[in-house]
Amino acid sequence: MPQTAPAHPTTPLPQDAYILGGNRIPFARAGGKYASASNQDMLTAALDGLVARFGLQGERIGEVVAGSVLKHSRDFNLVRECVLGSALSPQTPAYDLQQACATGLEAVIGVSNKIRLGQIESAIAGGTDTISDAPIAVSEGLRHALLNASRAKTVGARLKAFAALRPADVAPATPSTDEPRTGLSMGEHQAITTARWRITREAQDQVAYDSHHNLAAAYEAGFFDDLVTPFKGLTRDQNLRADTSLERLGTLKPVFGKSLETPATMTAGNSTPLTDGASAVLLGSREWAQAHDLPVLARVVDGETAAVDYVHGHEGLLMAPVHAVPRLLGRNGLTLDDIDFFEIHEAFASTVLTTLAAWEDDDYCRTELGLDGALGSVDRARLNVHGSSLAAGHPFAATGGRIVATTAKLVAAKAAETGRTARALVSVCAAGGLGVAAIIESADTEGSTK
Amino acid sequence: MGDERPTTTLPAVPGLGGLYARAVAPDPAALLARVPVLGGLVGGRDEDRASGIVLPDVTYRVADVVADPARLLAYQRLLGEPADDLLPAGFVHVLAFPVAMAVMVRPDFPLPVAGMVHLANAVRVERPVHVDEHLEVRAWAEDALPHRKGTQVDLVTEVSARTGAGDEREVVWRGVSTYLAKGVGAAPSAVAPEVSDDAAGTSVRSSAERFPTGRWTLDAGIGRRYAAVSGDRNPIHLSGLTAKAFGFPRAIAHGMYTAARALAESDAGRPGADGRGAYDWTVEFAKPVLLPGRVAVAIEPTTSPDAGGRRAFRYAGWDAKSGKEHFTGGVTPR
Repeated sequence: MPQTAPAHPTTPLPQDAYILGGNRIPFARAGGKYASASNQDMLTAALDGLVARFGLQGERIGEVVAGSVLKHSRDFNLVRECVLGSALSPQTPAYDLQQACATGLEAVIGVSNKIRLGQIESAIAGGTDTISDAPIAVSEGLRHALLNASRAKTVGARLKAFAALRPADVAPATPSTDEPRTGLSMGEHQAITTARWRITREAQDQVAYDSHHNLAAAYEAGFFDDLVTPFKGLTRDQNLRADTSLERLGTLKPVFGKSLETPATMTAGNSTPLTDGASAVLLGSREWAQAHDLPVLARVVDGETAAVDYVHGHEGLLMAPVHAVPRLLGRNGLTLDDIDFFEIHEAFASTVLTTLAAWEDDDYCRTELGLDGALGSVDRARLNVHGSSLAAGHPFAATGGRIVATTAKLVAAKAAETGRTARALVSVCAAGGLGVAAIIESADTEGSTK
Repeated sequence: MGDERPTTTLPAVPGLGGLYARAVAPDPAALLARVPVLGGLVGGRDEDRASGIVLPDVTYRVADVVADPARLLAYQRLLGEPADDLLPAGFVHVLAFPVAMAVMVRPDFPLPVAGMVHLANAVRVERPVHVDEHLEVRAWAEDALPHRKGTQVDLVTEVSARTGAGDEREVVWRGVSTYLAKGVGAAPSAVAPEVSDDAAGTSVRSSAERFPTGRWTLDAGIGRRYAAVSGDRNPIHLSGLTAKAFGFPRAIAHGMYTAARALAESDAGRPGADGRGAYDWTVEFAKPVLLPGRVAVAIEPTTSPDAGGRRAFRYAGWDAKSGKEHFTGGVTPR
């Protein structure tokens, strides 16, 4: 149910949580430049880049929270291990968090809340993922045989455990992006949502075109100079195609939705590629920032996580942010018109388009979101202005940190330019019908009227 | 209905393996006994006379059947049912159906069992059955009717359990499996209604476009794995070679595997928060699923949740490439 409470209704929290900056490594295409890098390598590199950028050598940070979606079982304490391998103080606590593609944004919201409660004064939130170095597990049959053999007390019992093996059990089990409950891949799920909302191929290709050109322009303008640290020979995101054209995007063959009764529209060009990479965001209280002589960029205002019933087709797999945003805006007394920048994660071009279409649909907003009518339209000139995942790539858990650092810089620059509060809405969809949204405001005009 | 027939009590649920062997290679005397008798019927039941087919006038009974917890767990894991102590309706089917199969392989059963086509299955669950319960199974054949392609027959299996602490029993589960013997007695004047025509799943198609809610990627071994947990080792499900012997190009998925998986993937087969656990579970089979294969499925609620949170579901499975239907059905809480 939407919340219609006025802005700032509750007792103020002890302090605000601010974004001070971020750092990431360029994102690489799967099997590309980072083919031999592990999650630990990449997150450690992202952390060390952040440490170098903000002079945090030997610093005891309140907490480091990050995660990865595809994780080796040996990486049970991945983030703590990365901290120990970084230039941060070994007294910096850490924990792993995993919420599929929303991992990074959920980590930002989580550490912000601890800062706001005064439990910690500083934090790093982030994520890392590698497709190239993905864990490969043994089959269930071999796993059971190995477990039974390890429990066996005699040689005979051990042999008996292995005697249960079948030839097919020797084949390894590779990770897949299929939803466990439906057997459909994320792309196939989105293809259904795309068809239901009648999103055209042309509209999707335009989103992809804009993403590449906006990201390339931001690189050219030096926007990422203080957000990205080169890694293993990459200085820019490997997937970025500055010269892509609508014509070229139009030649690509559809890859998802080919077995539906509707025409297939989703291609490798308007879907995010599998990618390797890591990101980290530095957050802190205003006091902590001042004590470390660090400027604050933006305030984390609020966050909302939603989940949808996608299993039996009632709602699209990637539509949860559509539900999260009206609740988040309502609770903060805001509308879409109050937002200067929309950062809607481009899992697929059509994810962005179905999100926008849903918010413009009167009937849908009434029946599915419980609103009085359509939520409204998003000004496309404010949407993903420096590109998003279609161009940059999407190493699942690393995407939230990429978006939040970019967004913090965007609102800070906008506020500096206009002298008014600049406000951004971030949304990230995730597997399992999950979605996270957050409001981020420029820092210096804190407390000013909306 | 079962009570009207003479009852034969079997010592235990027979193994399906032996029953299939008898179905495939019956002894000559049994073959002779199977020749349809045309006219001059003796001892046939009224409803059977229309088809000229005489079904055995017998109810088979097994008095004390208890589920094996290890087999239950293996079944639950394979079908995606929660690993609790309740018997999924599909598990009760595999537990009890061999008793019906024993009726079918009787020498006096008038239809050839090998090559029979499973047309439809309808299960009425009265209440959840616990793994510890001592069950009585009764099974008989009824309603031999002319079908467009031969003769269809219903195999009825009734499972009863103690009600409360006393000795009184209640029917907790009732299954009707409709089979078609192709080319047998096909001279239809009064042809039975085709079960697939009033399929609960046809409304899935009636919308302008049909979208799947999921996809099953079935490998070549799924027939063998279902055989292992169900005990139903029908050769047409086990391998390409054994399936070819029965005229299939490859092994086919067991129809009850597909129906039971659809049941597991709807949430209507589990007791509601109000404790009510009665429901109907139906399936009508169309084209068989060849293995390995990919089945597009739509498993969708058709009602809002009731007081206990249960919803009615309809489901359908089809070949994602050709669009040809494999099965349709529904799960309807009562």
